[in-house]
Amino acid sequence: MTAPATTVGRTARPRSKNTGIHLPFGVGLAFVLPAALLFGVFILYPMVAALSYSFFDWAGTRQAGFAGFSNYVTLLTQAPYAHDLRNAFLHNLLLFGGAVLFQNTLGLGIAALLHRRKRTKRMFQTIFALPYLVSPMVIGYLWSLMLSPLFGPVNAILRGVGLDSLAQPWLGDPNLAIWVVVGVTAWQWIGFPILLYGAAMGGIAPEIDEAASLDGATSWKRFRYVTLPMLTPTIGIITVLTFIGAMESMAIPFALGGSSGSPARSTDVMMLLFYRTAFESGNANSIGISSALATVLFLFILVVSVVITRFMRRAERRLF
Amino acid sequence: MTTRKHLVLAGLTVGALALTACAPASDAPASGEQPADGGEEVTLTVWSWQAATAPAWEAIFDVYEEENPGVTIQFEGFQPTEYNQILATGMEGSDGPDIPMLRAYGGVQNAIRAGQLDPIGDDIDGLDQFEPTVLRASEGQEDGLTYGVPFAYQTMQMFYNKTMFDEMGLEEPTTWDEFIDLQEALLAEGVTPMALGAREDWVLPMFHDIVGSARYGGAEFEAAVLSGEKDFTDPDYVASLEMVEQMQQYLDPDVSAIAVADASLQFTAGLAAQWPGGSFDLPTFRDGAPDTEWGVYQVPPPPGSVLDTPVTPGYADGSFGLNASSANKEEALALLSWMATPEFGQIFADEAQQFSPLPGVEYSDPLMQEMNEQYTENPAPYLLLVNFRYGDPAGTAVLGPDIQSLFLGQATPEDLATNLQTGVSTWFTPSP
Repeated sequence: MTAPATTVGRTARPRSKNTGIHLPFGVGLAFVLPAALLFGVFILYPMVAALSYSFFDWAGTRQAGFAGFSNYVTLLTQAPYAHDLRNAFLHNLLLFGGAVLFQNTLGLGIAALLHRRKRTKRMFQTIFALPYLVSPMVIGYLWSLMLSPLFGPVNAILRGVGLDSLAQPWLGDPNLAIWVVVGVTAWQWIGFPILLYGAAMGGIAPEIDEAASLDGATSWKRFRYVTLPMLTPTIGIITVLTFIGAMESMAIPFALGGSSGSPARSTDVMMLLFYRTAFESGNANSIGISSALATVLFLFILVVSVVITRFMRRAERRLF
Repeated sequence: MTTRKHLVLAGLTVGALALTACAPASDAPASGEQPADGGEEVTLTVWSWQAATAPAWEAIFDVYEEENPGVTIQFEGFQPTEYNQILATGMEGSDGPDIPMLRAYGGVQNAIRAGQLDPIGDDIDGLDQFEPTVLRASEGQEDGLTYGVPFAYQTMQMFYNKTMFDEMGLEEPTTWDEFIDLQEALLAEGVTPMALGAREDWVLPMFHDIVGSARYGGAEFEAAVLSGEKDFTDPDYVASLEMVEQMQQYLDPDVSAIAVADASLQFTAGLAAQWPGGSFDLPTFRDGAPDTEWGVYQVPPPPGSVLDTPVTPGYADGSFGLNASSANKEEALALLSWMATPEFGQIFADEAQQFSPLPGVEYSDPLMQEMNEQYTENPAPYLLLVNFRYGDPAGTAVLGPDIQSLFLGQATPEDLATNLQTGVSTWFTPSP
């Protein structure tokens, strides 16, 4: 399972050196073909198509001539796209920052606590992972109902226990609404880092921990200087996945603030801008501009993900 | 190492997939169904965004099915917020309907430009009975051809809880002063004067036209702004936006956090006395509080208004068109022809409780009759929808979120007018 992955990354290296197995070319191709076909049809083709769409002018869903980079210029310089893009992009960065903060503090903390519990570990992991199994759209709508200032239970409970000052118009105040989006997103996804960190901690040889313990290291010191450094690869994976998730966040902001990022565009994100441009705009060239937006977002995600991966790999090399 | 690579690769892949999943497909194949011969059973599919009134539509089409044996109409209702995307995808592929319900004005242009719809002007009799403004909703902006049979128009007025008004001894206002006195009286009674779901920006330009259309001049201003004689920074238009600001004191203190469904519940539960909204809302109130009596009035114009009579803003809601790749065009055109008859108009009005643009339709419901009379006597266009949805940003897409900013104290009526003018100027050129 793991061996072919190595060769995917480094095709230049002869296969036999890694695995010791020689496969005739035809047989190898037969094994690769099903996955390659699926990848080609569902991933590669739409990607290349979106890229090509972005270089055309469109009249509705019909191509109306080659446009060069003009869709990109429109997107990055003209109203309303340029302003909306900046605004939405900042919110995506906030989502990423918030998620990283939650996952690497609360998520890691809970995973560390659960790691020491032998009996109830599984149960708690399951409980924390439950929201992650529900559709984010459903999660968003449930929270929007709970946070309703008129009929929602959150404010009713706060008022019921005398915390009237904390009963806020959660989704109506632009300074709060974006944090509600950050919080609900983090709440939903917290189970994911807990599972990954839990698995990574389970993979650390207990002898290392025991040795540190015999040397007199305290529980905190063992976590800080033994467990945490060994989790660096996992932190890297989670950071990259969180980054991708945050940049593509759509369902929860949509459920909480609608397609325009209510109130007053304060919960607007890149995918909502994409959605509005592609499906709600009266612009004949909406496919061209939305494809340009998708391409820009894809390239940004790709470049930053590669940079994060490189950075984390270097950090690992320094450790081991 | 390899696990991590797997995960990173998987992450990148998922990312790429999500980004490109929405990419449209290239040339669509024609509908898979075989054309039906004369005597064979034919199933026509009709798509609509009116999922909420699906039973009414089924009852309407039952009448047609009875009169036309061998034709089965399969009605599929979708959520209004998801419909544009679903229809665009369906029309592009082979799973589209024979007869799609089409958005009006700017909303239908992309489907027309893409050649997904057949022009029907030459095949349908009776299109001349529709008001030109209504018929314009289904015309191609570039070619001027008609692509749909308009089925409904909506009016926008102030609804009120008549049962509550009667208990409090309050009456419909006929002058601006009476209107303000009424709001103050309701505040004094401890009810929210108006329920508004301002968390959803689409209701806000409607609210603006309901209170402010007569102030800025309704159809007169429309003509002036289309010809370039005036623009949105006109003092009268700014004054109409000031009215929206002035109305905030009569809305819920947390109005920006209230969704339309919450506001609707607030109104039907008797927590709010009035509902500035559209005729499309009426069935919701009737279902939500069957024992309550509802009334409707037009907001009287304030001093200094361009128009001295109150008006009812309205717009054509949509039309039914013909999918260019339908395999049952003959039968579909027959159904569309029926939709241009007074019989359809009357059944539609009775069943769906919406206004038919066909002349001579009677409304058994006294409230609807009154609303229709108000509109036909003093109509006004819902300006930003009727004329300013032909480009990006649409007028409503600028003004909606901006009125949220106004309610939050982040913008002034002048800012709103300037933003609106700047926004639509990116694509709109007046034609003197």
